[in-house]
Amino acid sequence: MKKNQLKKYIMNLTPLFGLVVLFAAFLILGKIQDINISYGLKSIINQSVVVAVVATGAIFIYTLGSFDISLGASVAVSALIGGMVYNKTENILIMTAVCIGVAVLIGLFNSVLASVFNLPVFVTTIAMLSVLNALILVLIKVNGTGSEIAVPAAAVKGLNNTPFKVVVLLLFFLVSMFIFSFTKIGRMQKFQGGNPVCAKLSGIKEKKMAIIAFAMSGIGVGIGAFLSIIYAPTLTKNTASSVGMDVIIAIVFGGMPVSGGARSKIYAAVIGAFSMTLLSQIMVMFNLNSGIGQMVKAAIFILVVYLATSDQRGKMLPR
Amino acid sequence: MKKFLALFLAAAMTVCMLGGCGGSQETKETGEETGAQTNATEADAKEGARNEQAAADLDMSKTVKIGILVSDATTAEALAFRNYYTEYIQKQYNVELIYSDELTDAAGETSAIDTFITNNCKAIISFSSFDRAAQIEQCEGASVYYAVATGTLTEEEYETYKGYEYYVGAIGPSLDVEYETGYQMAKHYLDQGMTNFAIYGGAIPYYTEMHIYRAAGMLTAMVEAGGEGANYKGAADRDAIIQQIFTDGEIVPGAIGTINVLGYVGGYDMDDAWFGKCTQMAQTPDLQAILAVGNGSDFFGTAIEGTDVKIASVDAYASSYGEAMTGGMLDYLAGKFSASIGPIFIATYRAVLGSPVRTEDGSALALSQGYWIAESADDFNTYYAVDSSVETPAYTKEMLDTLLTADYGAFKEFVEAYSFEEIQGMK
Repeated sequence: MKKNQLKKYIMNLTPLFGLVVLFAAFLILGKIQDINISYGLKSIINQSVVVAVVATGAIFIYTLGSFDISLGASVAVSALIGGMVYNKTENILIMTAVCIGVAVLIGLFNSVLASVFNLPVFVTTIAMLSVLNALILVLIKVNGTGSEIAVPAAAVKGLNNTPFKVVVLLLFFLVSMFIFSFTKIGRMQKFQGGNPVCAKLSGIKEKKMAIIAFAMSGIGVGIGAFLSIIYAPTLTKNTASSVGMDVIIAIVFGGMPVSGGARSKIYAAVIGAFSMTLLSQIMVMFNLNSGIGQMVKAAIFILVVYLATSDQRGKMLPR
Repeated sequence: MKKFLALFLAAAMTVCMLGGCGGSQETKETGEETGAQTNATEADAKEGARNEQAAADLDMSKTVKIGILVSDATTAEALAFRNYYTEYIQKQYNVELIYSDELTDAAGETSAIDTFITNNCKAIISFSSFDRAAQIEQCEGASVYYAVATGTLTEEEYETYKGYEYYVGAIGPSLDVEYETGYQMAKHYLDQGMTNFAIYGGAIPYYTEMHIYRAAGMLTAMVEAGGEGANYKGAADRDAIIQQIFTDGEIVPGAIGTINVLGYVGGYDMDDAWFGKCTQMAQTPDLQAILAVGNGSDFFGTAIEGTDVKIASVDAYASSYGEAMTGGMLDYLAGKFSASIGPIFIATYRAVLGSPVRTEDGSALALSQGYWIAESADDFNTYYAVDSSVETPAYTKEMLDTLLTADYGAFKEFVEAYSFEEIQGMK
């Protein structure tokens, strides 16, 4: 019994081991290849932080057993509107508030729409993806130069540093972890995701849970939009276009069960986001072309996820 | 099973690590055999010998890592450029070229540059232009040389960055060349007496300058051929037409004097509705030619099969265009030749080796190159044979080596003699 528990514990930590192995590989290979490791570490944080923040918020949606396919477009719309507001007000705080506000509104709209039409939440997010993509083009055409909306680089240069980004990520992660792991809301969400029927019979309101989840996700998206502007203040129709898919990959890579429920882990997003970036960096060290690199990444991704979820298939809920 | 998988995963990562240990440290032949050609004149031989000596003074013993930023990894043009760098340049010079993934936004560019700097790239050559200014600033801050391939900065950008130590410069078609390319394309058909055209606007809806200038060139030629009082939406000269396109974000079909623009499609939506619009435009009654600011044959070729409609494109020399020309789906091609990116490589390499080429006043390069124009399948085949060769491409190592020691004047002269005949004459 103890052996089984230990094995389960180890398997549960596979994504974390994966991250440690990748980190060690990065350091060892970096030393051998004589790369600029300190710059590389900063670069890894820069490249991971947006996905890590957005994915941490999205964990609340995934815990319900649902998913949001429109997260990348939400980041882009929030960033574009935030950028436009900055260009009018020249105030970073207002820009940040607008980014978060717009993202939360989009999230709430998704969840309320699902409630009104009694549809699965992910269905409304598919529709929202189309709407947001169209909105991106309209925003750029109407308010920008036709191809971009640019916030002056000098305005955000002071915030484009690693410590600031780490602090933002850490704060959001700690707040999310507190809500997820130490409050009734987090427990109800896991219950709802693991067994919706029992959750409903226990008096948990499905729609209320969805609204809370999308609000948390919206905050993550808004902060992600703010960080996107800091990182690359020239916003185009393709801004954050890869974030939506990266978030899904990061969450799964981090060991989060796609079915949600009691096995959901708030830290999966951060582990997954950093693992992905480390893997990409290692691929570049080998100078693998993007095709081969993608295939190697896909193979490692599948293996890590298989190992991480191997104790979850065909078994009862954890006790 | 799990143990096996865990072991396999560990083995895969180990193989990756070991794989990373080899390869890159090898030094390559530096090509010291460069120089005197057997059929050169005595003077040329002496000049060659001097260049060889001067080139030998550059320390090319260490492998130089150069990052290549690409926003397009699949089109004929992108593949031709990549082929020249990886299959020719990388084998001729002691360099390791590392390519980015296909970039889609400014954040991607920043990340890719970060990754290159992490991997000790000493220079970056950029084919991606979402945020040139940010790229230049980022490289300057990290003391990494930066160059623009097949493009140019705006005048305002150039004035800002020309004095940056690590900004090598840009070599590519200037906006004037783009305008002239469109102008000559339209004139080619106007001179044949054609009057009914359709225009494919490529990235005009996204306000991409080079496409707007090419289209403006086409419209200006039509205004000139359209008789007295001809104009495009009231605009009758180059600057006014450019301004009009920037205002509209599209070309509006209509009569330009006696010349007719019967249809227009822009963008790269690539969905069924968009392809439907392309087909509809290509089959417009009385249409004589489709003038494309980019790739026309891929989008309209099938729709014009069996008709007399001609298609003219701007792109690069790729086998698919040869087939299109032979099959009647392409009639005119203004194409970049893949070796056109050779000189910017040399300028970048020189900068890394400590011998940067700058203008007389110490500014970064801003040199213009143009296209090779194929007006028939025979033209195309002649150009393509040279362009696609990885043994003797348009710019060979011997030719590029002369740039290793060239002063600004000689460098400029070399770059601006870009026509097929001029380049062949240099060999």
